[in-house]
Amino acid sequence: MSRLYVLDVPENISVANVAGQSDGVQVDKLGPYFVIEHNGPIVIDRRATGCRHAVWYSCVAGLADGRIVQWDKDALRVDPR
Amino acid sequence: MSHVRVGLVVPSSNVTVETELPALLGRHPGATFSFHGSRMRMAKVSPAQLAAMNAQRERCVMELGDADPDVLLYACLVALMSVGPGEHQRVEGLIAEQLATGGSGTLVRSSAGALVEALRAVPAQRIAIVTPYLKPLAEKVVTYLEAEGFEVVDWRALEVEDNRQVGCIQGDLVMAAARSLELIRADALVISACVQMPSLPLVESAEQEFGLPVLSAATAGAYSILKAADLPIDIPGAGSLLRREGGLSR
Amino acid sequence: MNDLSGRHLARGVDHAAFPTFNPVGTVRFYRDVLGFPVVHSICAAGWGPDDHPDFIHFFFDIGNDDRIAFFYYFGLPRPSSEGKGDAYARFGDSTPDWFVRSRHLAIHVDSGDALMEYRRRLDHSEWPVEMQVQHETIESIYTHDPNGYLVEVTRALRPVTPQEDLDANLTIDALVDIAQREGHTMDDLLTRKAELIVERAPSWEVRV
Repeated sequence: MSRLYVLDVPENISVANVAGQSDGVQVDKLGPYFVIEHNGPIVIDRRATGCRHAVWYSCVAGLADGRIVQWDKDALRVDPR
Repeated sequence: MSHVRVGLVVPSSNVTVETELPALLGRHPGATFSFHGSRMRMAKVSPAQLAAMNAQRERCVMELGDADPDVLLYACLVALMSVGPGEHQRVEGLIAEQLATGGSGTLVRSSAGALVEALRAVPAQRIAIVTPYLKPLAEKVVTYLEAEGFEVVDWRALEVEDNRQVGCIQGDLVMAAARSLELIRADALVISACVQMPSLPLVESAEQEFGLPVLSAATAGAYSILKAADLPIDIPGAGSLLRREGGLSR
Repeated sequence: MNDLSGRHLARGVDHAAFPTFNPVGTVRFYRDVLGFPVVHSICAAGWGPDDHPDFIHFFFDIGNDDRIAFFYYFGLPRPSSEGKGDAYARFGDSTPDWFVRSRHLAIHVDSGDALMEYRRRLDHSEWPVEMQVQHETIESIYTHDPNGYLVEVTRALRPVTPQEDLDANLTIDALVDIAQREGHTMDDLLTRKAELIVERAPSWEVRV
């Protein structure tokens, strides 16, 4: 189960929303953070989030039991460790 | 015996401060002094010429900084006091910053600040003063000293505008002005609130005659320089301000 | 120990100082183009143990009573202009641009209109805006001053929120934890930060 933490600020809300649209991905809150969880890979499409690059490349606050395998202009992908 | 280099920023027409300060500090038993002057053009003690003179301050400090003085005295009292309350702190601060920026450890004093320091050391609260200035400038000096917390109980202005003439004012004229003051409530008399008006020979005898501490811009300047140089106060024959500490109740 | 102990007492930048070999351009850029008033100057020489030449130390008001200051040393030869960098430091071609640009001064404005006004002033000068960028929560314009110093003018797109301060503190705590490990990476930081989030979450239930 990999877990991705994203700070709940206005710019990041679409990141959590887009992540939550994938099957099996669970989005919860812990304090000021969105916690995005999944047994398999978490894949977030950047264009779907509408994030500017500066926001996109600073949206990850923390990572548990997962590894970032892709984080570019197309997508962010976290695989279970 | 220690040696103290004294830098003096002097109005160009002033001849008295470079006479009276060496005469005073030359009597100190524990140190020798040398005096290094830099001059700001000024002939008439008018607001316009005083402002023009203050603009030359930075150049004078540059010149004196090269001589690495231990203490620098900005030796024109009215140039600072005529600007308004607090000016001596401001100018001393600017000079100190100028010197410190270049790495100089020179201590900075002014005759305006020295008079305030010396009056507090006496300690005097109610004072009388004799000035050579025109009345409007003399009033500014009074206002300045009152802003420093002193009560000026009486004052005289000899109304000499030409600064060269100020250097030639006779002692009997200064004493006559002092004798005309209402001194009953005064704690101290400033017999010359000007480093250019000669008064050094008058201080000790005036103190005997009036029976209260008598200061001048020069004796206050010497006091402040000795304090800055961390030397004991011990200059005979120039009033109780400069007499050996312990010899006076302060 | 006194009543000031432990308190955040600093009140902004008194001044940040830089050397210049081009006082004319520097005054034109800061005073005449940007409109930052000259507020102080000092004429001095090397009176201490350091034998430096006569110099002027002069200050511009950058708002909020903060100041940018310059030193101009008379007769000091201009250093080589080879390589990347500015009047203070030069780097070889192998040094990446992003590293050279990392040291810069950013001046704050309150609104987009103010930002665009500075853009207008710069664009009408010899030092036009080189770049206009939106970061996460800020928008900035950049140019190099006549000395080669990178100057940014920036405005906040929205106020920084308390949770961002909290997040920043977690990041820095995580960084301090992992930065002493050999070969540390961003992955180590994000992993450590996730641990800290879980550790500290119980204390947020009341506060956030």
